[in-house]
Amino acid sequence: MKKIDAHCHVARRSDGSSRGWTNADLVEAADKLGIDKLLCSTPVSGGQPTMDVVRKCNNITYEAMKEYPDKILGYAFVNPGYFTESIEEVERCVKELGMIGIKLYNQYRADEPVVLPLIRKAAEMQIPVLWHAGHPPSPEEALRWGQPRISDGVHIAALARKVPDAILIHGHIGGGGDWEWGIKALRNVPNVYVDTSGSVVDEGMVEMCVKYLGAERVLFATDLSMEAGVGKILGADLTDEERELIFWKNMDRILRRRKV
Amino acid sequence: MIIDASTYIGHWPFRRLRYNTAEGLVTLMDRNGIDKAVVSSINAVFYKNCQEGNEELAEEIEPYRDRLIPFATLNPKYVAWREDLERCVKDLGMKGLRLYPLYHNYGLLERESRELLSEAAKMRLPIEIPVMLVDPRQHHWMDVDRTLPLNQILETAKRHPENVFIVLNVKDVSPIIEGEQPVPKNVYVEMSRLTAVLTKSIQALISRIGVERVVFGTGMPFHYAKPALLKMEILDIEEEAKEAIYWKNIAKLLGLNVD
Repeated sequence: MKKIDAHCHVARRSDGSSRGWTNADLVEAADKLGIDKLLCSTPVSGGQPTMDVVRKCNNITYEAMKEYPDKILGYAFVNPGYFTESIEEVERCVKELGMIGIKLYNQYRADEPVVLPLIRKAAEMQIPVLWHAGHPPSPEEALRWGQPRISDGVHIAALARKVPDAILIHGHIGGGGDWEWGIKALRNVPNVYVDTSGSVVDEGMVEMCVKYLGAERVLFATDLSMEAGVGKILGADLTDEERELIFWKNMDRILRRRKV
Repeated sequence: MIIDASTYIGHWPFRRLRYNTAEGLVTLMDRNGIDKAVVSSINAVFYKNCQEGNEELAEEIEPYRDRLIPFATLNPKYVAWREDLERCVKDLGMKGLRLYPLYHNYGLLERESRELLSEAAKMRLPIEIPVMLVDPRQHHWMDVDRTLPLNQILETAKRHPENVFIVLNVKDVSPIIEGEQPVPKNVYVEMSRLTAVLTKSIQALISRIGVERVVFGTGMPFHYAKPALLKMEILDIEEEAKEAIYWKNIAKLLGLNVD
């Protein structure tokens, strides 16, 4: 069965350092697991990166896209605090470099007004916005994680209601936060998808996504937890049709909506 | 043949588990091609008197004794654990112990732990220690909010060379892989949370401690079994080495005659 990994990363980090393996290793791992496409980004995971840093991040992603054009697709990472320039960078990445969407991290929460111009632009272009997300056990723990502005399902739902034609993806429902919180929060916002990536492989997680959101709003992904990512979809109680939607058809449909 | 070193039955207070009965667990095992499994009671983690959880476990798995291998949960700081240990082994047929120092609020290096380990060694009971039951990043507000440091287990193993320790559900094995000290020979690691690609922590672990000290596990029914099975499937090692991980290593520790 075909597979599109909706949330992945390339071998180099935002500071240019290596993760300890190469893009060739990533592609080899994907091949072993039957993953056809890897939708990758290079985000900065803390602080407020300047536009220079952001452009370097996207160039790192673009290098990997050029290295493996049939395998690696790119999301443009931006800092929404740079109103005009972040939109210009998205346009550069999408129109000139061929990227397919936007990746946002924890620089701003999804319910903060500052993100609206960028999200409205994404809606206009009909490109997906993948948001690093998770619900920490407490605000104090979010601080300990170094992520006081991490978005959770409630924040993303609030944004989705403000921009109902935006295509939003709650990143890594298995990324370590309270996934039941995330799934429940998104039940009534049809323009939000969840990706199933992360190292958490809790039995019943994928089934709960399908029960609350419908299989059409669930996207297979790994976030570099490659075997966990594939294994949890293979292991879940799903029909073949549901598995196929999750593994690739939903993401394929999102990619076909682009107006650029 | 596949033997799962890490399964559970019982009620988890913080999330609804499915397949968390003996019958449910065997259903999952059948679905995933797993022949036998080491199992303990989740209830026993939360009862002050763990022994009632052990009694429930023994009763519930009775129809599945050929598939499920019971391990006793004991708290060395709770009264009469010696009597419970004896009952678990002699009357209930338990083949090893599972310890939860964080849930039961003790340290592995404390006097009571030393006494329990000494008794377990005399009875040749392997000790399984899950460093976590669920990922602490998603813990319930009444649940434990951290993992047991692997270094504490390594130090305990060093001081108790007569015991066998099997570390369960561990994601970060860097204290073993990168540690400067030799890894105690009596430490085994269950592989379900490690990786076969990219960081390749399973291969790194094998290089450091040898394939004979890695065992297969899933963490069912907390976890899906498929991720662990997939890791084994794509692991780039000899078939013979895979067999060792799948079942031979744990069978030897348990004294199982499954040839």
